[in-house]
Amino acid sequence: MRRNKRVDPVLLGALEEQVMLAVIRTAEEAYGMNVRRELEEVTEREMTIGSVYATLDRLEAKGLVTSNRQSLAADAPSRRIFAVTAAGGRSLSLTRNTRDRLWKGVNVGALSET
Amino acid sequence: MARRRLPFGVGAIFRILLPIAEQDEVVAELSAEYADRVIRHGNAAARRWAWRQALGSVPALLRRGWWRGMTGFEPQANRLRPGGPMYESWIIDARYAVRHLLRRPVYAIVAVFTLALGTAGTAAVFSLAQRILLDPLPIAREAQVGVLWFAGSWNEQEILRLRPDFPGFQRMGAYRPAHATLDVTGQPLRMVSGAAVSSELLDLLGTPPLMGRTFKPGEDLVAAEPVAVLSYSLWKELGSDGSIVGKTLQLGGVSRTVVGVMPPGFWFPTPETRVWTAARMNPANRSGLYTLVGRIADDQSMATMNGPLQALASRLASNFQYPDPQWDKTRHPSIEPIRDYFVGDVRPALIATVVAVAVILLIASANVAALVLGQIDARANEIGMRATLGATRQRLIQQLLTESLLLGGLAGVTGAAIAAGGFTLLLQSLPLGVLADTAKLDWRVFWSAMIAAMLASALVAVIPAITLWRGGSLQSVLATTRTGGVGSRGGSFESALVVGQVALAVLVAAGAALLIRSVVNLRALDPGIKTDRAVVIDANLPTRLSLAQRKLVIDAVLPALAALPGVQHVAATQRLPLRSSGYNFGISIRGRGNLNQTTAFRMVTEDYFAAMGMTIRRGRSFSSSDRPSSERVVVINEALAAKFFPNEEPIGQVIVTFGDAGERIIGVVSNAAEGRLIDGAVPARYVLSHQMPIVPEQISLVVRTSDTNVAPLVQAARRTIEQERRDLAVQETTTLQAVFDLSVGPVGQVVTLMTLLTMLALMLGAVGVYGVISHFVQRRSREFGIRLALGQNPSRIVGRIVTRGVTLVALGGVIGITAALLMSSLLGSMLYGVEAADPLSMAGALSVLLAVGVFATLIPARRASRLDPAVILRQS
Repeated sequence: MRRNKRVDPVLLGALEEQVMLAVIRTAEEAYGMNVRRELEEVTEREMTIGSVYATLDRLEAKGLVTSNRQSLAADAPSRRIFAVTAAGGRSLSLTRNTRDRLWKGVNVGALSET
Repeated sequence: MARRRLPFGVGAIFRILLPIAEQDEVVAELSAEYADRVIRHGNAAARRWAWRQALGSVPALLRRGWWRGMTGFEPQANRLRPGGPMYESWIIDARYAVRHLLRRPVYAIVAVFTLALGTAGTAAVFSLAQRILLDPLPIAREAQVGVLWFAGSWNEQEILRLRPDFPGFQRMGAYRPAHATLDVTGQPLRMVSGAAVSSELLDLLGTPPLMGRTFKPGEDLVAAEPVAVLSYSLWKELGSDGSIVGKTLQLGGVSRTVVGVMPPGFWFPTPETRVWTAARMNPANRSGLYTLVGRIADDQSMATMNGPLQALASRLASNFQYPDPQWDKTRHPSIEPIRDYFVGDVRPALIATVVAVAVILLIASANVAALVLGQIDARANEIGMRATLGATRQRLIQQLLTESLLLGGLAGVTGAAIAAGGFTLLLQSLPLGVLADTAKLDWRVFWSAMIAAMLASALVAVIPAITLWRGGSLQSVLATTRTGGVGSRGGSFESALVVGQVALAVLVAAGAALLIRSVVNLRALDPGIKTDRAVVIDANLPTRLSLAQRKLVIDAVLPALAALPGVQHVAATQRLPLRSSGYNFGISIRGRGNLNQTTAFRMVTEDYFAAMGMTIRRGRSFSSSDRPSSERVVVINEALAAKFFPNEEPIGQVIVTFGDAGERIIGVVSNAAEGRLIDGAVPARYVLSHQMPIVPEQISLVVRTSDTNVAPLVQAARRTIEQERRDLAVQETTTLQAVFDLSVGPVGQVVTLMTLLTMLALMLGAVGVYGVISHFVQRRSREFGIRLALGQNPSRIVGRIVTRGVTLVALGGVIGITAALLMSSLLGSMLYGVEAADPLSMAGALSVLLAVGVFATLIPARRASRLDPAVILRQS
């Protein structure tokens, strides 16, 4: 039922945006632990698995990601694989565009030098 | 990928906090990465990493479980293995329970209030009982300390003669109440409660002083410098002067050196006591006013003290003579533990009240359990459906338990609020003696209420849970609805509940009936005085005033009071009737030699008999012609006339009390309760205070008015004394009616409470009977419909239902009466003129319950007899 409903794009929080981008970057391998690893590698900050799952559940409830259970190999345990939905994609664009507009004409280099 | 077991505890944290569907995946992935890190970074670093993951995840996962519980969110991927961590189901159940209660507000309100009433009573009474019976007294090793027989009647001569050694005791001390006027320059004269103590007493109690010292041996002799020890609160009030030790205070008109200050929290013998003065004992003084307190030796216990006490008694016998058998100290020597002495009669009353409220809490829980059972029947369809869809019994019971706990939580909060109010009521309606002032409302009441409510709600859940459990397969519940309940669950649990609660209600009602009869008996006693329309003022005269000055004070204050509007008579006496034991004095009659007897003795002013509402039977009362200089006169009561002048004319005879002149009998007055209310008529004589060579420090003024509302007079009288006579320190103002009520004793105070509790128990009992019988009718309505359709007379159906109800009530009644007979000894000491196994009280309690039970049964029975068979049969 939730899937059929058209979800309006929303502005994402910083962690939500990062997690969704990590899901897209890991693509078919987007299961919880892998998303966490990807985030850690790119952001160079340690990330707990609990906060990744909590964020993913919230995003799924909002209809921005979906999850499906898949087994990568025949004998491997099934994994919850995440994917970003169309609404999720629109939300990412909206968030980025908003941020870009805000950045326009801003030069923080001068500030950070002093 | 390589696997390695996660450090001990890490896996468990994830398994507890993750949904079942995700546990395996996450733990497996973590183990793999852990193994990888062991190789790359070493064991210790990997272990630290695993713990950081686990502990760092806890807040996020807890929030997630809570959020899932609150929103009911279930991820798409877990749809085949739904369910979150354990606590998520509790959150879901709690939300479901809230919705359910909101949909049935009447059920919710009745259940919450029923539980709250039981909870509140239990919490208030229990926290009070805990304080009075269990909280430590400010006495070191209090089990060693006791009061020797005849409290308040030991005299200075006895104490000084016995003093050097008390075999079997570590120490012996004495005290008497000694309220004193405190005169601080620039402040109005005020009364402070105090005690005059022997030098050993404070050391005997074992609390070291905060500042300075306690009393030294010899400081309690008549020749010693007057010294005093202050309570912490008085020290604070005097400005918390750190150098107060060594300074002097004007106490009771005497300049006393402060030698010490006791620490906060210390009190003896009452919490209001604010100053301890060293008694100034005179070996010649034989007026017995002291209470003797002993600390027994370490190797002794209260039970083994018989020998030392007998030795003490025989030493008394060889030193003193006790002509009056009533006050013979050589008889029945005993020691009473200090707590018993303080708590006195209240222990049985308090225990009886605790039992009564516990019983009410049980009744309340039983009623709510019955309500929940009724709900289960009404929800049989829903429960059956959930069972069919795979809900386990545990899960259904968890749902029940959650609902009960929610009810319990609401009842706990409501109950705590009621308990806070009830606590104050209890303080007033229980005869708590000196300990009442140590009991204050605090959070313990709240926590007692919450604990009581939680226990009660657990009880509430247990019975329906057992019913569900025993229901075998839950499908049978479903079947019940299909068949309209014929022949299925028998409701034996509910019947047992009703029997139980009727028994409990009868128990409480029987106890209350006994107490009510005692109070009626006590109130029926004629105190011999008119207790209405009279104000009583207790006041102190400063010791520094001479006898003549004290008489002047009394002479001045009486006309001032008499001038107040509505006042008819004003009088003063040294001690009021109805206030415990009287004031006795030896009597001798001219021409008869030594009689070796005592009678009640009262020094009064001219208008005393009129003010008290007593009648002169023969002769005359005092008059203004009886001057201090004229012949001394005495009025005797009828009891004295009958005892000492059985066949002769008393008027004109002479009684010798002080000096050789004696007092001539001028009249005979009606009897009054001189000491306690239950003492009956005792011989008493009354002399005019201004003809006597002594004037007491403490007097009671009685003001009789024509106005039935005495409250304004109480205020006006106090003000008048404070304005007119600064020398007279008012201690307490009350009414003669209040003095009488107090003399009825603990039972008079408890009876209001017991009556309230009984009404509550009856109400709850009736609700219980009604609930269970109407539930019974509801379950059998199909059967009754068929019976009616087949032509059975409706009156037979009513008969059947009422018989069932009455059988239950009667069974409960018999159990209740048996319990009442077994427990009536608890009340024994509070009863007057009624046997503990009083048949009238028992029969009364039983018949009230039967009446209530029949009434509660009739309503559903009538409903059953008016069932329309067509409607009933169409329902299914």
